[in-house]
Order: sequence, then C-alpha cells, then structure tokens
Amino acid sequence: MTEFVIQSEQAYAKVWNKARKRQRLHSFLKGLLFLLPSILLFSVFLFYPLAKTIYLSFYLTDASGATTVYVGLENYKQLFISPIFQKSLEVTFLFVVYTVPGTIVISLFLALLANEKLKGIGIFRTIFSSTMGISVAAASVFWMFLFHPTIGWLNQMLATFGVDSIGWLTDPDWALFSVSISTIWMNIGFTFLILLGGLQSIDRYLYESADIDGAGYFYKLRRITIPMLSPTLFFVITVSFINAFQTFGQVDMLTRGGPQNETNVIVYSIYQEAFMNYKHGAASAQAIILFILILLLTFIQFKLGERKVHYQ
Amino acid sequence: MKKWLTVGFVIFLTLVLAACTNAEASEDQAETETSTNQETETPTPSEDTNEKQVVTFWHAMGGAAQGALEKIVDDYNNSQDDIQVNAEYQGTYDEALTKFHTVAGTETAPTMIQVFEIGTMSMINSGHIEPIQNYVDKDNYDMTGLEENIINYYKIDDTFYSMPFNSSTPVMYYNKDAFEAAGLDGETPPRTFEEIMEASKAIHQNNSEMKGFALQAYGWLFEQLLANQGALLMNNDNGRTDTPTEIGFTEEQGKSIFQWVETMIEEETFANYGTDGDSMVSGFLAGDVAMFMQSSASARDVIDNADFEVGVAFIPHPENTEREGVVIGGASLWMVDDKDQAEKDAAWEFMKYLQTKEVQAEWHVETGYFAINPEAYNEELVKDAYAEMPQLRVTVDQLQSTTSSYATQGAIMDMIPEGRRIIETALETVYNGGEVDETYQNAVDQLNQSIESANAARGE
Repeated sequence: MTEFVIQSEQAYAKVWNKARKRQRLHSFLKGLLFLLPSILLFSVFLFYPLAKTIYLSFYLTDASGATTVYVGLENYKQLFISPIFQKSLEVTFLFVVYTVPGTIVISLFLALLANEKLKGIGIFRTIFSSTMGISVAAASVFWMFLFHPTIGWLNQMLATFGVDSIGWLTDPDWALFSVSISTIWMNIGFTFLILLGGLQSIDRYLYESADIDGAGYFYKLRRITIPMLSPTLFFVITVSFINAFQTFGQVDMLTRGGPQNETNVIVYSIYQEAFMNYKHGAASAQAIILFILILLLTFIQFKLGERKVHYQ
Repeated sequence: MKKWLTVGFVIFLTLVLAACTNAEASEDQAETETSTNQETETPTPSEDTNEKQVVTFWHAMGGAAQGALEKIVDDYNNSQDDIQVNAEYQGTYDEALTKFHTVAGTETAPTMIQVFEIGTMSMINSGHIEPIQNYVDKDNYDMTGLEENIINYYKIDDTFYSMPFNSSTPVMYYNKDAFEAAGLDGETPPRTFEEIMEASKAIHQNNSEMKGFALQAYGWLFEQLLANQGALLMNNDNGRTDTPTEIGFTEEQGKSIFQWVETMIEEETFANYGTDGDSMVSGFLAGDVAMFMQSSASARDVIDNADFEVGVAFIPHPENTEREGVVIGGASLWMVDDKDQAEKDAAWEFMKYLQTKEVQAEWHVETGYFAINPEAYNEELVKDAYAEMPQLRVTVDQLQSTTSSYATQGAIMDMIPEGRRIIETALETVYNGGEVDETYQNAVDQLNQSIESANAARGE
C-alpha cells in the first residue's frame, strides 16, 4: 500500500517536473523571441567583430587586413615588452584619473547650482548642458585655437599677467593635461544633464521634513541628496569610466598621440597600429587587452561601488 | 513658470541639435549641387548620344594645392567630351592610403589614386594595382622626358608602377631681413650644420626675441638630412637591390642630426615646434625664428604671406661630408586594377594630360611642386613667375644638382610610414631634453624591430 502511494507520488512528481520543465522551456523560448532583435543586432555589430578581433590577434596581416602568417600569442608577447604599449597603458590610466573625477565633481557642482529654484535658472541649465550639442570634432577645433602657442587666447591671457607661454599641446608635461581639460569640458554637458535629472527626481518631502528638523544645507546634501542621487552617480561614473577609456576623437584632432607619445591613449594606439602601420594583428591584440581591462574595472566597480548605492 | 522654462530649454536644445545637423546637411547639399552644376552648366552636344566615361580620382591635396588641382581637373573635363574626371579629396596621404587599402578590390575603389612616395611598396604589395608600365608600352609613351631624379625614384626593377605627378623636396627658408640685421649676408645662406649654428648665434645675439633655426619633428626631413650626407636609410642599397633587413645609416650619420639639434638647444638658438608644421610656419612669419626646413611645395604660400624678404636655400649637411643632394618627395598616381579596361584607358588619358608641359607649368607656379616635365620650365608662365619670385628657382636647382646615388634615389620599404613616426618621437624626445645616445639607440632598435615584423608579415 505504502509502496503504491510512494510510486504514485513519484509518478506525480515526474509528471509535475516534466510539466515544469516544459513550462520553463516555453517561457525561455518566449523570452528568447523577445530578445531576438537585440541578439541579432549584437551578433552582427558586437559578437562577430569581437570573435574576429580575437582571431586576428593571433595572426600577422597585410595592408588590407587579410591574415598572412599565424603567430599564436606572439602579438601579445610583443605588446608586453613594447615600451610604446606600456606608455599608452600608463597614459590611458592617467587620462582616466584626470578626466573622470574632474567631470563628475564639476558637473555635480553645476547640477546642484542649477537645481535651485531661481528666476531664469533655465538659461543657466541650457548653458551648462550646451556642450552636449557640440561634436567632438568641432569642440577640438575650438580648443585647438585656445591652445595655439602664439595666437591662442590661453597664452595671450598668460602673457598679460606676465607669465611665460606654455606649449599646451607641444610640451610633453602639459599635453595630456590639456587634452584632459578639453575632454572634461566636452563631457560636462551630458553628465550635468543626467545628474540634474537625478536631482529633480528626488522627493521634495524629504527636504521638507529635514527643514522641519532644522537641518542645514550641507547636512541635507550629505544625508539626503548624495544618497538619493547615488544610483544616478553610479551610472554616470561607470559610463564616464568607459568613455574615458575609449577616448579617440580629441586625441586625434589635438595631438595625434604626440608629443613623445604622451597622449597616445590605447584606442589611439590601436588606430595607429591598424590603419597607419597596417599591423591589424597587433592592433587586435591591444583591443582585446583594452576589452579585458574595461571588463575587469566595470566588474570591480559593480562589486565595490554598488554596495554604496541606495535604491529607493 | 518652471514648466515653461523646461519647455523652452528643450526647444532650445532641439534647435541647437537641428542647427548642427542642418548645417552639415546643407553643406553636403551645396557640394552635390555645385558638382551637378558643373556637369550641367557645360553642356556638350554629344552628351546625350555619347555617354562620358567617368574616372574617379582620389587625391590628398588640401589647401591651396587642392584649388590648383581642381582647376586642372575642370579644365580637362571642359577640354574634351569623352571623359569626365571626378576628383575626390580623401584627406591626408596617410588617410587616403588607408581608405584605399580598405576598399581595394571592391566596387567603391577609385579608378586612380594619388599615393605618397613612401606608400609605393605598400601599393605594389597590395596586389590591386596595374603597373603604369603596361600603358607606357602599349602606347609607346616616352617617359624619358621626365626629370631624371623622378625617374630614379619611381623606376623600380626597370618598371614604372605609377605615374609621377606632384614632386617636391625640402628646402631651407630663411628671413633675409633678419640675416642682414644680424650683419650676415642675406645672399649667401649657410650651407652646413656648422654654418647654421654660427648664423643662429649671430641672429639670436642681435635679437633675443628671435631664435635661429627650427627643425620640425618630421621623419621626412630626417631622411632628407641623411640623404644629403650620402647616408642610406635602409640597407640593401635603400631596398633597391633587395628587401631591407635593417637600417642603412651608420651611428655617426644618424647621430649627427640629433647632436646638431642638441647643440643648438644648449645654445638656446633652436625653436621647438614639435611635430606641428603649421605653427612653425606661422612662427617664421611672425619673426619668432629665422630659418626652417619645409617642403618646397610651401614656397608660394610662405613667400606670399611674409612681410619680409624670404630667402630659399639648399638644405644643410655636416661640414665633414660632401653635399649629396635630396630625395624626391611628393606623390604619384596609381592605376587601380579590376576596373573596366575602358575606364582605365580613360584614366591613362588623364594621366598623360597631367604630364603635359602646360599643365605642369601651371601646377609648378601655383603650388611650388616641381614640374616633373622639365620642358615646363621654358613656358612663359614659369619664366614670368621666376622673374617675380626668383626663390622658386632654388628648389629646382637643388633637385637638378643632386648626385645620383642609392642614397638620393630614396628608400623603398612598406614600413617607412611607421619608421617616420619612430623618428619623430625620438626627435621630440631630444627637443624636450632627452639624452641623445639613449634616444638614438631606442629609435634604432624600434626601426629594426619594425623592419623585422614587416618582413615577417609578408612571410619572409
């Protein structure tokens, strides 16, 4: 008797499991169907190029990028002994360190200012976010005029104060700094807009009750604004990080990686290897290393940074 | 109130964005409009019955040279009814070559393309070109009339792969007024490294605001300074007898240039403009520096824009060597393979037109590039220009007094563009106070490494 019960229970469990499995498969396929368009697009524009890049990184190529000789890991080995690649790694990290905190702090400051309810604040919001509407190429040309060694405004301003002129883009000690300044300026618009949006969506009642408790401005900033803004901040930091790693336009326009490779960030170095030196293999190897770097850093950011993020 | 501000802000943003995109669109439109206008405004009776053979011509001439080239192309299109040449600017030499390598063998490849001299080997190796020699033979076209040095450069294993077109060499520009102010003779410019150092000192002493000499960190100039002292850039006779396996200059030859610059930096007579040629020219025009080296193709531009008298001189060499001469620079025209024969024949016709002495005379006078066809120098146009600007003559004299040797024939190797960047970084390092011995050794190691990997990529 008991045996029978157990058997029927087992049979029941079997059927149930089967049904559940089918149900799962069903919803999985349904989900896949919804994802199909993006999977297709990703495959064409991301996964296939990624696979091809990995493939290319094991070969030497001719000028058109067709593979000629299989070299295994030789391209990677060459990279790690190449002083130029080490330099461009160093430059990229410095560039990230110069631009990301600068952009975030300035944009946050501007967003806090622009979040005040004052007459005509819209004008300031427009001005602060206006750099978003300017292309990297146009902005670079504009900064090139500012940085010009003799007729540039920056050096003319220095001259009126009696300071020696600076070779903004030609002096190896200044070039990366100059490119960073122009990059911060270019990125402020976007970051400002996102942060302002985040600020606007913070519930006003929180501030009202804090006011009733008699909290000061900075106390509110520290205890309400920043925690409530943390998801937006986290997003902005992650995106800025990735953008900084992938900077290309302004480097190409302003310094072409020079002087002495001081502004030769990885993406520019990839471009140079592939499209000027026609070494698509070495360039692919660099691209893979950049990919791994960004992946790692984003992963670390999610592990460490997200703990501090406060979701409502 | 706030709502309206937000709305206003959004409208403003859209307007800004729209303005940006509109400006681009209307520019494009304007461009296509002018190009279609050109086609329609010059109606040809036979156009309807006899369709024109279209030739796409990619070039890399920006600035003043672009205007001059487009005028020549328009003149050609108007001069006959069978061929329509569409000249398309593709950016710098580097960019144009890259684009070609990307589209070679596809529909979008042009019929003919202008490629700089150091792209020669890269083009031959690409396998997508047809040697010009085929057409020369078929047509019994006489190439012997061309400038000797140009033939020397472009004839490889007795074959013309490409049609020479715009050729230039570097010359030294100097400020005659500054020379005279410093008590130097403006008519006898310095000829050696040592004389330049002396002159620079005199000029800087006379006017502390003005530096003596500027050398743009430009690999091409370094190559020319090597050739002028008879040094080879690559071994195996500059790659003329066999594929190079390492650099061809000796330590003494290579270092001479670095040490020369270093001495001038120590004496504070050297102006550092890095790799930026435009800043250097504007510095010269503003009186910040008295001498600099640059392509002869800028001659017209510099002379026209200076408010002082500009002298043009031969490039210098170290005192203990003989002057060997200069290597031809500039670009040539390549016939792209896998196009219809009719289209290629039309391109060949256009190439021959560019060779004629009338066109070359116009080109020489308008830009400062050489006339590759020496007969052009007898044209009235050129004689008049020389009467007005005798400096243009110097560029031709320097080329014609060059000793023919492997050194001045110029190196051919596919990695030279990369090699130039290595040299440029090294020069910049020295300009910014780097140690000569170490910098030189690094550069040589990188050059040899680059030659090795270029050979490996070809499976050699």
